[in-house]
Amino acid sequence: MIFSHRSFRILVGCALALAACEQPRTQVAVQSDDFGDPVRIGQPPTRIVSLNPVTTEMLFAFGAGSRLVGRSQFDLWPDSARRVPDLGNGLQPNVEIVLGAHPDLVILYASQDNRPAAARFRAAGVSTLSLRTDHIADFRRTVQMLGAILRDSARARAVSDSVFRTLGRVRAATTNLPRPTVFWHIWDAPLITIGAGSFMTELVDIAGGKNVYADITGPSATVSLEDVARRDPDFILAGPQGVQKISEDRRWRIVRAVREGKVLKVDTVLVGRPGVRLGEAAVSLANLLHPGTLH
Amino acid sequence: MIELKDLVVSYPGARLNAVDGVSFVGARGKLTALAGPNGSGKSSIVKALLRRAEVTRGSAAIDGRDVRLVPYPELARIVAVVPQREEATFPVQVREYVFLGRYPHLGLWRAPSREDELAVDEALSQAGVEDLAARDTDALSGGEWQRVRIARALAQKCPTLVLDEPTTFLDVAHEMAIFELMSSLARSGLAVLLVSHQLNLVARFADTIVLLDRGKVATTGSPSDVMRADTLESIYGWPVVITRDPAVGAPALVPLRRPVRL
Amino acid sequence: MRFRAWYWVGLVAALMVVAMIAVARGAVSVSLAGVIDALYGRGDATAIAIVRDLRLPRVVLGALVGAGLGASGAALQGALRNPLAEPYLLGVSGGAAVGAVVAFALGVSGDAVITLAAFVGGIGAVFLALAVARVGGRGTRADVRTLLIAGVVVGAFANAAIMVALARAEPNTVRGALWWMMGSAADATWRRVAWLAASIAVAGGALVYWAREIDVLSLGEDTAASLGVDAERAGRRAFLLAALLAAATVSAAGLIGFVGLVVPHIARRMGLRAHRPLIVAAALIGATLVVAADLAARTVAAPTELPLGAITALLGVPFFLVQLRRTS
Repeated sequence: MIFSHRSFRILVGCALALAACEQPRTQVAVQSDDFGDPVRIGQPPTRIVSLNPVTTEMLFAFGAGSRLVGRSQFDLWPDSARRVPDLGNGLQPNVEIVLGAHPDLVILYASQDNRPAAARFRAAGVSTLSLRTDHIADFRRTVQMLGAILRDSARARAVSDSVFRTLGRVRAATTNLPRPTVFWHIWDAPLITIGAGSFMTELVDIAGGKNVYADITGPSATVSLEDVARRDPDFILAGPQGVQKISEDRRWRIVRAVREGKVLKVDTVLVGRPGVRLGEAAVSLANLLHPGTLH
Repeated sequence: MIELKDLVVSYPGARLNAVDGVSFVGARGKLTALAGPNGSGKSSIVKALLRRAEVTRGSAAIDGRDVRLVPYPELARIVAVVPQREEATFPVQVREYVFLGRYPHLGLWRAPSREDELAVDEALSQAGVEDLAARDTDALSGGEWQRVRIARALAQKCPTLVLDEPTTFLDVAHEMAIFELMSSLARSGLAVLLVSHQLNLVARFADTIVLLDRGKVATTGSPSDVMRADTLESIYGWPVVITRDPAVGAPALVPLRRPVRL
Repeated sequence: MRFRAWYWVGLVAALMVVAMIAVARGAVSVSLAGVIDALYGRGDATAIAIVRDLRLPRVVLGALVGAGLGASGAALQGALRNPLAEPYLLGVSGGAAVGAVVAFALGVSGDAVITLAAFVGGIGAVFLALAVARVGGRGTRADVRTLLIAGVVVGAFANAAIMVALARAEPNTVRGALWWMMGSAADATWRRVAWLAASIAVAGGALVYWAREIDVLSLGEDTAASLGVDAERAGRRAFLLAALLAAATVSAAGLIGFVGLVVPHIARRMGLRAHRPLIVAAALIGATLVVAADLAARTVAAPTELPLGAITALLGVPFFLVQLRRTS
């Protein structure tokens, strides 16, 4: 009738072209971050503040380290991360200082302490991403989320796959070995250890050990020295400060592992976060618990 | 014996001296009364004897010894003071309380001897409170508490006794009992200095009255000498009449009512 | 109630019994016979280590802390003529906490340093309070009321300082400092026990020596003067000794509240009046109470250890309820 065959095709073509033109700008793949706030994935951010060591090292792994305009005081790996401006605490951050770096994306650790800060960043119009990084599964999700945001899902997949391959390798290597029990010393006054809610327990499991406090559901717990002695772990894992405190304090000798010299020093920066070096972390733990099994 | 020579007492920051050159003698065997309006310096003199107020000039001496030169613990052995106010925060047994009067003699470590026990017994009976010995101090009436306090001072067994307003809050029976007690104590050889604003009772019992006015001695002498209408009126600023009471003939002060201006 | 001589035996026995139970109970069960064996060095190596290096010093530390707080509270209540006085007056607790928090914030980790810093802070606060009282009050003498207010001033200042220090500190520092402030006998080492024992022997002994003076002081300043006691000097002496005791306990075990307040009342209810036996009895009762509270702190919510200060704070509830009934 009015539409001739040719004009109809031109119309459809234009409509499709229009739709294609608009896609990069208006495509909204809305997900939720761990505070339940919507995450809009549009143009990749160019000025990122990452207040979480896990995401900081991930950004460097994606080759996006140059986009970082701010990090938290604890983000010390890789070395180039130290050159990124230190904006202070990752928990209850100083909102003004962070905004002063003019970021277009702020990444926070999704702890309740940070809810007010997240709200204030959003109110200031800055994209905010709050992620929980407690479990190994969180690592996978975080990598995917960052990959989507940076529009580099391929790299995300590569990083994630590499980590999980290593984890799988370690698990396979240790799965048939006798499983020693482990006490992980986080802090001494009060005495704090990790529970099932922490990726560190998962790491111990992958590395062929068993956390004596795996019965605790939360990520960490305060325990008494006597209780540790009662649970009688085969090994104690501790950071350098912890190892020193244990060696200085006579009372730790009530624990068999201390008397037998089975206190193992771990690199807390390596194993202390579920980041891109999870694989290496698992390998290092496995080498401590089952020396010579891996290479 | 108490002897004040031109005593001047001042408090830090005060414009005027609380006691401005007071001299008098409270002799042994006599009941000497210190009287005067509020703020005339009566309690300051007592405080000076306790070394709790600063003597800027003059001296206060007990038995010839300047109180500032006598070491504190020894001072408590030569003069016993019953201050105006006392807080009994934690109740103790009356006998234990009176025993504290022996502290100047016992010190920190000496165990009580027979002599101390006797002194306490005597003090209790002199003050007329032997029956109360087993009671707790928070179970006493106002009059009983006053007499117990006096007993404590008596237990110190000092030749000089000073009492600051010992009959406040007491009814006539207790007041008379205390004045009788003080009179008999003076008669037994102590030098008793009594601070009181109860002029009429003072006039009946005291041997000497020292009348103070704004830190100075207005007049001193026997009750008949001191109880004069003109003197008292100018000191107290209130019209009075002095009469002789019909019962015992002691001088008595009768304050007159001022006409009310409408 | 009239105190009888055999009550002393009862008090000591109660302390011994509670102490033995406390040494025997814990995450690892050790029977009473096992405790005795362990004390003699016989039996399982772990049990020996637990009893000798963990529980015994802890129980002894708790007992010393309780004794120090009890004696300090008894002396202060008498010297200040106030049944609600307690050892942390005059800013001792605030000052000690500032000392410890500053040490934590400076990253100092040595056990002895924190103890020393807390002690210096506590004593420093008392001297500061005395100075404030002297300057703020009239003349050169510091009377009771002025001292109390000066102590509140110092305490308020200390609280502010602690808040500022913690606001700027790292999370780990905050956690360590808070844990310390909540009070715990957990870090009991024999060295700490020895230090505390020495302080309590010296300061507590001095208090017992001057105890009769406090009897006289508690009658009021004028009455004390009439009995030959210089109220200001004797009062200052009592404050300082009581503060020394309090500072020593705080530096060894953090802030343990209510013990110094409640224990003297218990001793008085048993019929004691004169401060010499009162202070000694308060020390015994305080020791028993803290050892029992520490046992509860360890066992009630196992494997988590509750702060000792939290358990003793529960003491405050029945105490104040009783006071309420008394006054109304």
